Amino acid sequence: MDLFLQLAATGLVVGSLYILCALGWGLIYGTTLHFHVAHGAVFTLAAYYAYAAQKLLGLPLAVAVAGAIVAAAFSGMLIDLLIYQPLERRGAIRTTLFIASLGLLTLIENVLAIIFKPDPLRMDVGWLGDSVQLGPVFLIRLHLVSVATAVVGFFALMAFLKYSRWGQAIRAVSSSPEMARTVGIDLRRVHLLTYAVGSAISAPAGILLAMDVGVEPYRGTTFVLLASVAVIMGGIGSIPGAALGALFLALLENIGVWKIPSEWQSTISFGAFLIFIVVRPRGLFGRKIHSAEI
Amino acid sequence: MRILPSFVFALTLIAGMTVVAAPAAAQSSPIKIGAILPLTGSGASYGVWMKGGAEMAAEEINASGGIAGHKLEVIYEDHAADASKAVNAMQRLVEVEKVPFSMTSYSSPTLAIQPIAAQHKVVIMNGGGQSDSLANKPYLYNNIPVVSNEVGVIATYLAKDKKLLSAVMIVANDEAGRNSAETFRDKFGAAGGKVLAEERVALDATDFRAQLAKLKARGGDLLYISSYGRNVSIIADQARELGITIPMAGTSWVLVPETFKSKGAEGMMVTKLPFDPDSAFAKKFKDRYKTNAGFFAVQYYSATMIFAKAAAEAMKKNGGVLTGEGVKNAIESIGTFDTLSGKLVFQANHGAVMDIEVGTLKDGKVQVEKVIKAAP
Repeated sequence: MDLFLQLAATGLVVGSLYILCALGWGLIYGTTLHFHVAHGAVFTLAAYYAYAAQKLLGLPLAVAVAGAIVAAAFSGMLIDLLIYQPLERRGAIRTTLFIASLGLLTLIENVLAIIFKPDPLRMDVGWLGDSVQLGPVFLIRLHLVSVATAVVGFFALMAFLKYSRWGQAIRAVSSSPEMARTVGIDLRRVHLLTYAVGSAISAPAGILLAMDVGVEPYRGTTFVLLASVAVIMGGIGSIPGAALGALFLALLENIGVWKIPSEWQSTISFGAFLIFIVVRPRGLFGRKIHSAEI
Repeated sequence: MRILPSFVFALTLIAGMTVVAAPAAAQSSPIKIGAILPLTGSGASYGVWMKGGAEMAAEEINASGGIAGHKLEVIYEDHAADASKAVNAMQRLVEVEKVPFSMTSYSSPTLAIQPIAAQHKVVIMNGGGQSDSLANKPYLYNNIPVVSNEVGVIATYLAKDKKLLSAVMIVANDEAGRNSAETFRDKFGAAGGKVLAEERVALDATDFRAQLAKLKARGGDLLYISSYGRNVSIIADQARELGITIPMAGTSWVLVPETFKSKGAEGMMVTKLPFDPDSAFAKKFKDRYKTNAGFFAVQYYSATMIFAKAAAEAMKKNGGVLTGEGVKNAIESIGTFDTLSGKLVFQANHGAVMDIEVGTLKDGKVQVEKVIKAAP
């Protein structure tokens, strides 16, 4: 039982990062219908921004983290502004956008590998690295921060979408772009805002990874793949669905190790995904795949 | 189909680069040899040592007139612990650079390039990989003992001297990691110990908590780490984080700078191959590369020196012509080489024997407890 609890706790910690990544990716996909795999690059960039701010510029941890989140939000907006919007203006189909996004992901990853070398870089976390023991479960303080960040991130995003004017505009575009346009909502500006919010909410995941085990240039690919799987499992357009999907994947990956050798980790999660999606193609909370809703 | 023109453009570019790259092999007077090393990835720390050692040897050789008047040039290639990258590098060295000799490292990459070496009659010398399967291969010489020697020493030490009789293992899922784990299972069993459980992990992973939690639940007196490179320190730190308090142990593979710096690795029991950190070589290395030298720096210094001696001999015999076959015959006929770590004798199985030390990691150093002398 102790082992089960430890694995569940580890799963929850990993799940926090998956949740943050899936929230951002799901928000962007649900609103813009861009299959934004370059989100993985934004996630990795956030980690390198924070690392560079702390290690190269010598900024305090909190400042480095805040700066990296803002920089990541701008990176997301720039991608929309410089890549997706020009493509859409010229009538590019979604597949073209996806290929462009994939190209951008590869490009950014390789540039990062050239600048920072492919080895993982770890930030200094000071006392956050100390162990904490909760009954039979052993964690470090940083892990509690990860879980708290995911919880706060989730509720903040829900509140933003529900109560703020901009959040309502995002929801309007997400449920029906045509209708939103008719009532005078500027789609391009809403898309830009979505990229800013989506990138900012996923940035902490990358940064927390750099603080815990270290960040590598190619790590974003794995995360964006898992995020997209989580969003599809949860139902496209559903924020709680994305979070639940991400948590489910992380728990399955870790608790699965309980009785099965650990080299099966990713086979288990993707196997479960395939079964799930065949049985329930719309995901947990998804209504219609095409006109997504939040 | 807007992608097509840029695709064609990219192809043209690639084709152009290949054409430009080809004439590089034309300059003939220096002797070119290869070195396929882990310059990036989880083993990059070994790469710094290996490349540094080879570089220092080549400079010394060139400063004293080169090999039979020819300058020695080492071409470094990166395998990043990946066998397919090693194969590409070896193909390039053989076909483009036309080398008669290349240094190599790591078990899987070395096993992958050995058939190319044998086919083209190019000698490869491995100073780092220790899988037992590296023995008895044509054109492959190992100036390092195979891992079973070291694993035997640590397994016996743990069971007989320390009375630690049940072990759990964390194993890098590659040729080297699995081979060392199997050997540990055998030798630890023979010394009266028992392996309770093993978990395999990817060499490039950074999160080992699930596997370690599972091993923790199995109990045991000892955690044996059958892995290498930077992930050893991550494993050690994460094990302590999870409240694993039993002692840890490993072979000389774990001895990289990250491990010496890791808090979790303090007290780890290890084997070590002979290397004197206060030697003149180590001092020179530190001055030059601003990092402490390790055993593998000496290994690749030695490999380069062994090549220089064998190449000079081969050229003398063949009227100034240097071929891989000539180098191989010279290595066989010379047999014993003087190296920084003492006399090195190549065995009939193309491997070397050395003294093996056993000790404990403390304050960033190995405190040696005993030395097991090489079999006569």
